[in-house]
Amino acid sequence: MATKLLMAKSPEEAAVSKTASAAFVAGGTEVNRLGSDIAEKAETLISLKKCSGLDGIEADAGYVTIGAMCTFQDLVESDKVPGWLKEAALFMASRTKRNMATIGGNIAARRSDSYLIPALSAAGAVLELLGSDTKAERIGIVEYFDGAYDDKLITSVTVEKDIRLVSKRYANTAQSHAVLTMSAAMDEMGVYMNGAVKNVGLLHFCDLEKAFNDDPEISEDKIIEMVRTCTGLETADDMFGSDAYKRYLIAVTAFDLFKQLKGKEV
Amino acid sequence: MAKQYKVVHCTVNGKEIEQVVDVRESLTDMLRNDLHLTSVKKGCEVGECGACTVIINGEGFNSCIYLAVWAEGKEIWTLEGLTGPGGELSDIQQAFVDEGAIQCGFCTPGFIMTSWEIVNSGKEYTDDELRKALSGHLCRCTGYENIFRAVKKTMLRHLGKFEEAELVNSQGITEYPDPMPFK
Repeated sequence: MATKLLMAKSPEEAAVSKTASAAFVAGGTEVNRLGSDIAEKAETLISLKKCSGLDGIEADAGYVTIGAMCTFQDLVESDKVPGWLKEAALFMASRTKRNMATIGGNIAARRSDSYLIPALSAAGAVLELLGSDTKAERIGIVEYFDGAYDDKLITSVTVEKDIRLVSKRYANTAQSHAVLTMSAAMDEMGVYMNGAVKNVGLLHFCDLEKAFNDDPEISEDKIIEMVRTCTGLETADDMFGSDAYKRYLIAVTAFDLFKQLKGKEV
Repeated sequence: MAKQYKVVHCTVNGKEIEQVVDVRESLTDMLRNDLHLTSVKKGCEVGECGACTVIINGEGFNSCIYLAVWAEGKEIWTLEGLTGPGGELSDIQQAFVDEGAIQCGFCTPGFIMTSWEIVNSGKEYTDDELRKALSGHLCRCTGYENIFRAVKKTMLRHLGKFEEAELVNSQGITEYPDPMPFK
């Protein structure tokens, strides 16, 4: 269990201090909560609260760069942040929690009911990272989840502003953990679909993307059957719902989001 | 393994304090255990129920997931800070009493702190905005309507709309007489 806390003054100090037995603390909603395994496993916590240069939202030539320590409420209140990202931030219903939770923290936590990752992934967000060698690098958000960047500090997130993106989140109540959060984006190349399924993980729905791109008029029944029989999807029965329920929810949500992107009424 | 301690300097309910805390201690623990401000309730301890809400530099936070060391240099308000020197209730507290917005009372301090931020914001929230602003709090007794009404009426009074506040009905809806005099 963590017994030491380092209050990093700069991103460089935080990045250099990161070892295998240390964990970053951004807003605290994930690390400081009761039962957090991050705080249990780490020996040292590196607080980013006093780090300079990790806040601020800059808009430039169709892109918005958001400091990793910007809170969800900062996103909601900023004129520069695109509507689709505000919508995803508002999935966190509690304003007091939105005052704490940060965009960088939500990505780094990699939760299977993440609020922002599906939308940021479908939007093709780019992360700027800082390693312990203090070298900065930029990677696509999907790349971040392959495990090679665990010890690096996220310093900013860049997204395209004018992108067509829609999201849905299903939970028992606004405060509950969601069984499914799903986002779909569309450009001239086609549709992009990403999701977070509770206790399953962060998913990129390549087969669904292909199905919609190949046949934009595909029926809902075909999508439901496709997801029902998909062998690559490892959903299981748990307290959030049965395997069949989760597959059905993914299918009908994908269909609804695609229709929404095409401007049709759902 | 030895624990690490730090000294925190901050202002709590208008008083400057200096407190030694374990670096992993939550602000809830510091306020309750060290400063004996027991209006700050320990509910879920995961930031979902809102019972531990305090105002830090003018904004509501879940103190259960806020490290005490982060409070360095901050101005913190808890429910105890809202009452007058003789224990007089503030207007938002009195509104909770008047509207029957209290049953077991466990969620009440958190609700009142967020409500205090709302009514002092100088902004007139729509009913929808008001419900969303209060959505970080869970109450298992009242069904929320009385709480909503107490906050709405106090917000309107803070904006000088005393007559309009009296038109808020039991469902929290403002019932304007015909023709509408308040436009």
